[in-house]
Amino acid sequence: MKKIFIVLIFVFSFSSCEKDDICDANTPTTPRLIIDFYDIQNPSNTKTVSTLLIIGDGLSKGILFNVKNKIQVPLDLTADATKYNFVLNYGNTNPALIYTDNLQFNYTRKTIFVSRACGYKTLFDLNNDNDLTTPNPFILNDDPTLTYGNWIKNITVEKYNLENENETHIKIYF
Amino acid sequence: MRRTSKYIFSICLVVLSLTTHSQTKKTDTTVTKTNRYGLRIGIDLFKLSRSFYEKDYKGLEIVGDYRLSKKYYLAGELGNENKTVNDDQLNFTTKGTYFKVGFDYNVYDNWLDMENKIYIGMRYGVSSFSQTLNSYKIYNSHPYFEDTPIIISGEKYNGLSAQWLEVVVGINAKVFNNFYVGFSFRMNNLISNKKPDNFDNLYIPGFNRTYDGNFGAGFNYTVSYFIPIYKKKIEVTPVKKEMKKK
Repeated sequence: MKKIFIVLIFVFSFSSCEKDDICDANTPTTPRLIIDFYDIQNPSNTKTVSTLLIIGDGLSKGILFNVKNKIQVPLDLTADATKYNFVLNYGNTNPALIYTDNLQFNYTRKTIFVSRACGYKTLFDLNNDNDLTTPNPFILNDDPTLTYGNWIKNITVEKYNLENENETHIKIYF
Repeated sequence: MRRTSKYIFSICLVVLSLTTHSQTKKTDTTVTKTNRYGLRIGIDLFKLSRSFYEKDYKGLEIVGDYRLSKKYYLAGELGNENKTVNDDQLNFTTKGTYFKVGFDYNVYDNWLDMENKIYIGMRYGVSSFSQTLNSYKIYNSHPYFEDTPIIISGEKYNGLSAQWLEVVVGINAKVFNNFYVGFSFRMNNLISNKKPDNFDNLYIPGFNRTYDGNFGAGFNYTVSYFIPIYKKKIEVTPVKKEMKKK
């Protein structure tokens, strides 16, 4: 009988402690836009950007990528469009080699329940190219008719619905 | 911690009342044992007291058991809960009513006219409830634009339900006359759970907090009153029994 009580006391002493849940980093939550860079001369080959700064429109602090052929671009959760300046060769000593293109992404958002610890996530659907009532999925240098810019030579959408970060959503050729 | 010490105190209290009982009665000869049969009705003090000291909780549970045979009791609980959970990412309110029915098996060998109960049992539980998502946050592991605010929702999900099985371990001890105190610990396992679209049943009245799987746990601390209905007399020869019981 004593054993039962000891076990019961043990169990009750733990029943009042609830572990605070922490959202597991491996849980897919709100994804970023994944962009892969390709060589315009040789479109099947990836191409590395030595330094690329992306900076949100109107923001002072950017995100710097060094020697990457894949970048992750956070989208604005509170609007249906996100605008960035893509600065190639940022910080180069020769200003003539620094090129800037402005890129706006247009999308719709949906809110999806994940779990107690993570709450909700936002998934993005890039606008459809064929739907003429909505803006294009991307707009280069504020001109919807442009297909190439100062350093960006071509852009293709690989996947319109952004679900996780293990997929490529957009390819940029330069 | 304060709650834990309350548990331990109450456990000691119940244990004490049991041991004092078992030491007072000692006889050598054949005696007649009277078994009383009837209905025991009580209230869960744990839920009742929580309703006072926890502002986000209102709950009431009525418990009852009916003695079917020497060892078996028909047992059940009927309750209502209204709980608001405030987590980092979510704030929601669950409201609903539940009912549990099953049996208890008394493993305690009562000596003479003692009427204590140390039992294991099973319950089938069913709950009908609603969830209101008060507010939520969107999880963003890489915030770059202004931090995501708390979004006020207020969306209400009605007509939710769940069913589960419980394994109960508990104790019920007579304190005076027909008054009993007891507590029980329950391990729950969901068998059905009707979840809302784009949300989850993170709390189920009667079942309590849900986890990733089907598992849950519960506790109650009861005070009850026994209504005797009829009596049975049994002859007992207490030779070996007494030695064992001490």
